[in-house]
Amino acid sequence: MQSIRVTVQLENDKYTLRQVFKIVSKENLGSYSCSFGDEAKADFLLAGPQIGEVRDKPIVSYVGDSVVVKCKMDEKKPKPASWNWYKANGTDKEQIFYAAEPQKYEIKNHEWVTKLVVHKLTEGDSGFYYCEGVYAVSTTMGHVELKVITFLEPLKPFIAIIVEVIVLVAAILIYEKSQSKKNSAGGNETNADQTNTPTPGDNNGPEESSSTRQRKV
Amino acid sequence: MTRVSAPCTSVCSSFKDMNNHGPKAKSHSGEAEGPNGDWSWVLVGALFISTGLVFGLMRIMGIFFVEFVNYFEESSQSISWITSISLATQQFFSPVATALCNAYETRAVVMTGGFLSGLGLIAASQATCLVHLYLSMGVITGLGWALVFTPMMATVVANISQRRALALGLGLSSIGIFSFTLSPLFQLLVEMYTWRGALLIMGGLSLNIMVCGALIRPQWCSKALKKVDSKPRSSCATVLRRVSSYLELPVLLERPYLTYTATITIFNAGYFVPYVHLVALSRMTGFSEYQAAFIMSATGVTDILGRVTTGWFSDLGYFRTIHLLSLWVVLAGLFIILLPVSSLTGSYAALMAISLLYGFCSGALSSLVFAVMPMIVGVERVMGALGLLQLIESGAGLLGAPLSGLLKDMTGNYTVSFIVAGSFLIVGTLIMTTLPHYFSRTDPPPPHRVPHDVKDRGVHLELEHINNSPSDTSPKGAQ
Repeated sequence: MQSIRVTVQLENDKYTLRQVFKIVSKENLGSYSCSFGDEAKADFLLAGPQIGEVRDKPIVSYVGDSVVVKCKMDEKKPKPASWNWYKANGTDKEQIFYAAEPQKYEIKNHEWVTKLVVHKLTEGDSGFYYCEGVYAVSTTMGHVELKVITFLEPLKPFIAIIVEVIVLVAAILIYEKSQSKKNSAGGNETNADQTNTPTPGDNNGPEESSSTRQRKV
Repeated sequence: MTRVSAPCTSVCSSFKDMNNHGPKAKSHSGEAEGPNGDWSWVLVGALFISTGLVFGLMRIMGIFFVEFVNYFEESSQSISWITSISLATQQFFSPVATALCNAYETRAVVMTGGFLSGLGLIAASQATCLVHLYLSMGVITGLGWALVFTPMMATVVANISQRRALALGLGLSSIGIFSFTLSPLFQLLVEMYTWRGALLIMGGLSLNIMVCGALIRPQWCSKALKKVDSKPRSSCATVLRRVSSYLELPVLLERPYLTYTATITIFNAGYFVPYVHLVALSRMTGFSEYQAAFIMSATGVTDILGRVTTGWFSDLGYFRTIHLLSLWVVLAGLFIILLPVSSLTGSYAALMAISLLYGFCSGALSSLVFAVMPMIVGVERVMGALGLLQLIESGAGLLGAPLSGLLKDMTGNYTVSFIVAGSFLIVGTLIMTTLPHYFSRTDPPPPHRVPHDVKDRGVHLELEHINNSPSDTSPKGAQ
């Protein structure tokens, strides 16, 4: 820990200490503090911009599809000079090189936002991806989880619903058929009007009986 | 004596039998219990589920909005066309759906509609570009919905004469309930399976409409049986006449129907405006996103309450349904006008209170609109009449929201557009007062269709006799 001792003059009833530090590299970042004897002390923490919002839920996509993994730096902070992407490989991080596999990966950087496009997903592509914003003096890391699933996953509840629909429709139709069989077997007493064999040509017959029927009302 | 709301004239006499011999079903290809029997309430349940699966799902389509914008990298305007296309298709094809029901069995039409709406969503889950979504989620699903909603509504309206408004209110309350409960479910599904998986499951759920359709028993005597022609079928004029009767086109020539349709169309121009712009109005007044969203949710709850309680109250019979409808519409119009006024005060409580009242009135009027129809055209023609109504009112619905948006752009705030929307409702009510027998204390006899082919005058007179007995709730409706 370095220490600088400065003598300060009294100005307008105040002692003011101002020190300029040149931040050249990562070593210049860290915590600084100034103290005035035992009477006043202030601490400062100098750090590079950090990626603020990190998406906590995994991005889900399907095998064979392509997906966009996004990392964003807060626009109020300075924009990174460049971005790097890493894929977690066990405990290591392996950098993704754009040029190495252009059919698989695409990196699109635009100021505060970086997008990693992964094509032709396989289940092995699941896992954590790290985006690294590079500044002159520091880097910052964000992470996103990608989950690749096959289409079988949503298909399971879907098939369950289809089965339910088929079962219900069949049950309703069978119930109705059995009801009508019961009724036609048992309820033929007052069926004088049952000339409803739908031969459409037959107008007058049913009309006569229907008019008598209506008179009873 | 139970009432006869007899839809059929010649061949379907056994339908009237049911009322003479009690509620037990007569046989003949699945005759159900009488119009006021237990099966009617099963139909209300079917209406509940199917309406929820149509308009409830339409309302939560917004969940996919952000996903589509990200995945397809299109503007939000192009994405919002999906919902517009599906709604427009549903309304536009309503007369076709009701014509098909008149020509064939309602059950087959509704089940086909359920199948199509599920198919559209399942196809949408495989979409690779935006046009696929327009065609599948927009057109196919919209067409399916058209084949479901109006036929189911008409079936319930025609099959229930007692407690009709309550049945409709209950049936339509599912829109709010489904969108409320399915919203978080689909958020979860989108997170687990992305939008593709969620759409697939949504399509599967839509197929449940087929179950609702299966519950419609073929008691609704098709007009095909009535329209007996001994002339050869291939004659062009005959075919045209048949098609026009299936579509119920002659009803367009009747003054009461035209008046009523004009009224509802004008309502539509103003009625949707708060749903579209209320959030924006709240944000403009200075409330946060959450506060604005909460107002909308609370309005949705009072909407459900309004539908059910007004149905129950209207059926008590103290007032004519049409008078109650006018009351709710006028109140809704007033509250719409008061909305920007209350926002001017800047008070959250005031805005919330007026919104809740508006929600209640708008829910109340939306179920009564359908309940009044049989009194205008008679129960037989409700199916076709509702189909045509949906088509005609869709134009106003499409124009209403953009018009109010235009007014807002011109004047800089929502005051004028809300006032215009509210006044549409009030003007519509004034037009409704020109309906025949509007000011009488009891319901007039509903018109019955003069059957073209019935040569027997005797039957005609019998029908008049039957239709002249009150077929709907009248004050102290004695039976």
